[in-house]
Amino acid sequence: MSTKEKAGNGYKWIGQNMKRVEDPRLLTGRGKYIDDIVVPNMAHAAVLRSPHAHARIKSIDTSKAKELPGVILVMTGAEAAEQTGPLPCFANPPVAQPCIATDRVRHVGEAVAAVVAESRYIAEDALDLIEVEYEPLPVVIDPEEALTSSGDAVLHPDRGDTNIALQRTLTFGPVDDDFAAADVVVRRKMRWPRSGGQPMETVGAVATFDEGTGKFTIYANSSMYNYVGWLMAVSLNVPPHKLNIIPTIAGGSFGSKLFVHKVPVIAGTLARAAGRPVKYLEDRIDNMMSCDNHGSDRIYDVELALKNDGTMLSLRMKSIDDYGAYLQFGVGHWGNVAAQASGPYTINSVEINLTAVLTNKGQQGAYRGFGSEVNNFILERVIDAAADELGMDPTEIRRKNFIQPDQFPYKIPTGNVYDSGNYEAVLEKALGMVDYKGWRKKQEEARKEGRYIGIGPITCQERSVFSSTEFWFWNHEPGFALTSSPESVGLKIDPLGKAFVTLHSPFWGNSPETMATQIVAEQLTIDPADIEVTYSDTDHGLNGTGPGGSRYTVMIAGAIAGAATQIKEKMFKIAGHMLEANEADLELAEGKISVRGAPDRSVSIPDVAMQAHYFRLSLPDDVNSGLDANFVYDHPYTTMPSEDRSDLGVFYPIMGHMCHIPVVEVDIETGQVKFLKYVAVHDAGTVVNPMTLAGHIRGGTAQGIGSAMYEQFYYDSEGQLLTANFADYLIPTIMEVPENVEVGHVETPSPFTEFGIKGGGEGGRMGAPPAIAAAIEDALKPLGVKVDVLPITPMRLRELIREAQAGG
Amino acid sequence: MEQEKVVVSVNGVQYERMVEPRRLLCDFLRQDIGLTGTHVGCEHGVCGMCTILINGRTARSCLTFAVQVDGAEITTVESLGTPTNMHPLQAAFWEKHGLQCGYCTPAMLLTAVELLDTNPNPSRDEIREAISSNLCRCTGYQNIVDAVEHAAAQMNGGAS
Amino acid sequence: MKPPPFQYKRASTVEEALTALAEGGDETKILAGGQSLIAMMNLRLVRPQMLVDINRLTTLDYIRKNNGTLALGALTRQASVEESSEVAEACPLMAEAIRYVAHKPIRNRGTIGGNLAHNDPTSELPAVAVALDAEFVVQSSKGKRSIPAADFFTGYLTTALAPDELLTEVRVPAWPEGQGWSFVEISPRKGDYALVGVAATLQVQDGKCQAARLVYTGVGEHAHRISEAEQALVGNEAGEAAFSEAADIARRSVDPSSDVHASAGYRRDLVAVLTRRALAQALERCEKGA
Repeated sequence: MSTKEKAGNGYKWIGQNMKRVEDPRLLTGRGKYIDDIVVPNMAHAAVLRSPHAHARIKSIDTSKAKELPGVILVMTGAEAAEQTGPLPCFANPPVAQPCIATDRVRHVGEAVAAVVAESRYIAEDALDLIEVEYEPLPVVIDPEEALTSSGDAVLHPDRGDTNIALQRTLTFGPVDDDFAAADVVVRRKMRWPRSGGQPMETVGAVATFDEGTGKFTIYANSSMYNYVGWLMAVSLNVPPHKLNIIPTIAGGSFGSKLFVHKVPVIAGTLARAAGRPVKYLEDRIDNMMSCDNHGSDRIYDVELALKNDGTMLSLRMKSIDDYGAYLQFGVGHWGNVAAQASGPYTINSVEINLTAVLTNKGQQGAYRGFGSEVNNFILERVIDAAADELGMDPTEIRRKNFIQPDQFPYKIPTGNVYDSGNYEAVLEKALGMVDYKGWRKKQEEARKEGRYIGIGPITCQERSVFSSTEFWFWNHEPGFALTSSPESVGLKIDPLGKAFVTLHSPFWGNSPETMATQIVAEQLTIDPADIEVTYSDTDHGLNGTGPGGSRYTVMIAGAIAGAATQIKEKMFKIAGHMLEANEADLELAEGKISVRGAPDRSVSIPDVAMQAHYFRLSLPDDVNSGLDANFVYDHPYTTMPSEDRSDLGVFYPIMGHMCHIPVVEVDIETGQVKFLKYVAVHDAGTVVNPMTLAGHIRGGTAQGIGSAMYEQFYYDSEGQLLTANFADYLIPTIMEVPENVEVGHVETPSPFTEFGIKGGGEGGRMGAPPAIAAAIEDALKPLGVKVDVLPITPMRLRELIREAQAGG
Repeated sequence: MEQEKVVVSVNGVQYERMVEPRRLLCDFLRQDIGLTGTHVGCEHGVCGMCTILINGRTARSCLTFAVQVDGAEITTVESLGTPTNMHPLQAAFWEKHGLQCGYCTPAMLLTAVELLDTNPNPSRDEIREAISSNLCRCTGYQNIVDAVEHAAAQMNGGAS
Repeated sequence: MKPPPFQYKRASTVEEALTALAEGGDETKILAGGQSLIAMMNLRLVRPQMLVDINRLTTLDYIRKNNGTLALGALTRQASVEESSEVAEACPLMAEAIRYVAHKPIRNRGTIGGNLAHNDPTSELPAVAVALDAEFVVQSSKGKRSIPAADFFTGYLTTALAPDELLTEVRVPAWPEGQGWSFVEISPRKGDYALVGVAATLQVQDGKCQAARLVYTGVGEHAHRISEAEQALVGNEAGEAAFSEAADIARRSVDPSSDVHASAGYRRDLVAVLTRRALAQALERCEKGA
């Protein structure tokens, strides 16, 4: 039912670098983030964090804390559990997570008690007075050790005497045959450790419980409140309609605010018990230890089977994924892997052997890429290894295996479909922008001078618009086999012809208001200055899955198209009546509906709107007053997985693509790496706003640099988080990123989406890590250094260099 | 705990308040004065979100007690302009897409104000040096440099 | 992360500050810039009972040249040192090192006295002070004394200051004519605590090293001077060979610790590399003329 417009064909607003609608209030310090929310009589909460990675809680004495002046309430996990149930969990069987630890703690920093006081200062003073007796339990930090845990080392004994949460091998196509037919099998073992979004704003909530109505009102900076927010009501033990969640803008997320249920549930629990509104805002240490949103943490053993001429046949990967202490999203991250496991290549078969383990670390959640960026890393690395072994240029081996433009829509071995693409065009553009041949020459000259310059071309996918099937199709028993992941919009035209757009998902730093404005402007030919965008709470909310998996712009475009179509239909009916013309003879342009070929016979949108709202007796008989539409837009192309999971169905078909080419110089004495050039060409289909897309490419690249070179949540053998503050967890400053990330665009519109838009929000993070690893390895080729373990810090690189120089 | 009197000028307005000595300046500004444009990111002086100007100089308000600014002039982002009357820096950030979530933006703006006060025509390297005191997780920084460069040109008479 | 409560005294004179220190005992701390102190208090790593705010003691905020000697008041903000033409001229090693101290907003508030008295093992100024044979003037209600830099830094976050003493002035001897210098440091990111840093000075006559100082930060509990490496330079031709030898000696002389950012081995590597690079730069600056 959606109209699929061709890309670049005379759009007025789509494709414009329109200044963002969100910015004026943000620029002037007038944005309302969660910590800016103040309600009358509001109290403040703080949580006591466990110093132990794994321990039974033997006793908690809160008496001294309660006596501190200014303290309103002190609550242990056991007390919380009397009124609040476990937090939401998408895994099946679920892994029970209390909002505050009850009888045992499972990672350092987990909450064991909470205080409500007149100020956060006093609340923290009270924390100092809480006495907890712990009985330490064996700590499991090494994921390989977790494979054989038993007894007291098991985090969730109710699930069995094991820390293995899931073990499954999925085979797609004739993997064994393809490997048997191979001339060359390249094998790499790799390690991708956990990093995380760590936006500058932490997670917070302001909760009020109205005893008169039995209803919670909770402000929160979480997403998915209009998708599964009611699950928080379940945790809070109230009927789902007795919870209204009001979204605030978020100071960044990158996935880490996808569904942050714990903080609002703690705030709600405390507010209900205290009889006062409660603000609970994580401080930075709370957040780093207990954000519930660490990224993928994987050990890999990967094999790529090829012919001597570089044709890729098959890919086998075996991975242990360390999920930490809980499993809120199940192994949905491996759905992301399966979405683009074979990359942009015509690899014939794929096998994924997954073991998900639980350990005494903070749990995984979502981080830009949701596991697919890791697949990009391992695939590109093993391809580079193959290129090396076969003596092929890294661009040649990739080119040789690209899916060709005429092969789309293309079904990959896992069952997912890629909608469109032109990988050759992206590569060519990037090679041109970077001057690949020029740099290869410079590299040669530099080597003669004893300098180490490297070039790292990689080509990888950026899947967008997830289907919810990926949250459960890896489970042996699906549990809740959800198949909807829609996005909704409310659209109304007021009597004066102004447009009001209601979004059902939040602002994270992506540009939902700007996207909505540009798309409504395009659809209804209303000027952006006459469009107002607001956000709905859950009481008034329609189903909105929210930003994530680079889906939001695609989905809101579809939703707006749906709503706009309904509004246009009604406007045409009314206009036809007003102009005494046939609806089929009318056209909408520049805010006016006119008779085709007779432009003086026209009515403006405000004319029509005024008529629609106030002059019922002048409307056609079958038209009621008003001019508005809600539209719930479903995923445009998704299908069920097969029973045996040999085919996962279509679940992530809107497939973007990128080529990143960094040029680096390595100082082999210190291991430091300098960027000499950085080119990033992306294909995100039809681009709504090139400026904002470039922002995601650059911002994402900076985060990719962080994961590749600087960031790690580093737990020692006792489970202490050694990188638990911003001094130790190394988010890149401007000095650590290239001076100029040169961005290029190629557009292969999607045949399945409105305007042909593809998602691009995950941006540069999808490609930067393998590109950087490739460039460093290329620089150090004379020394034979391999980059298989991230982050590739100067220290680690120095070690590899020293080993290589010693080994000869 | 005994309270201390603080008399401080914030964005040109004089305030007199009684505060606990331990009250951090960021909390004083956000909660006691009600100016929430200054943000809090880490409370240990690394991220820069809480940056304000004390007597024209950037400082981390999370590493300053309110009592220490008795008698001082504080400048926060709210002093720079309004949506209909923006400071050239704000206009430049808007033009050059120098923000995404907006959380670091007040800090970046005030850091740029300090830079341009003493160095009205900074090179890109000088802008990068100044910006390096603040983290941004969204933009990758590049557009922020473009924005400051553009603002400087505008403020120096429009030569771009 | 909010700090714990404390008593607060704002000193209007140095005498008031000294009296407060004398009466306060061990649990009293000086509040100058507070850039290290307040961060630690926010993290509740330290819980002083009383803070004596000395930010009004403007008489301790000065940079003066006396016959080539440079005298800096302890309350001098690091940014003032960074921007001072006197320091740039009379003590270029300090001018270079100060730019590595954290970030501008920190330097706007942080004082040199606070930095030196705090004595973080990765701090730049202690290494500079030791390299230049600085003297520290220290006062208490009982009187005044002078402590050479070599004796001032005694242990991890510990100095020779008694609990009732306040550092009031840093004196740097006149800069030897023609002396070359270099401060280099490697840190994980721009502005971070140093992994390893070195403060180097070099005097060369007719191509031969006459005198040298090599003082390291980040390799132990406090700034660490390696005389053996200095001695290896004296009398030898100033150049790569001598510098490499000094670097090797320095590498062998240190026993750094390992942490999540750098292993002992990596720190040793950096000691060697930075020694060579610092000396090469110092030589260049000798040759350019002071």
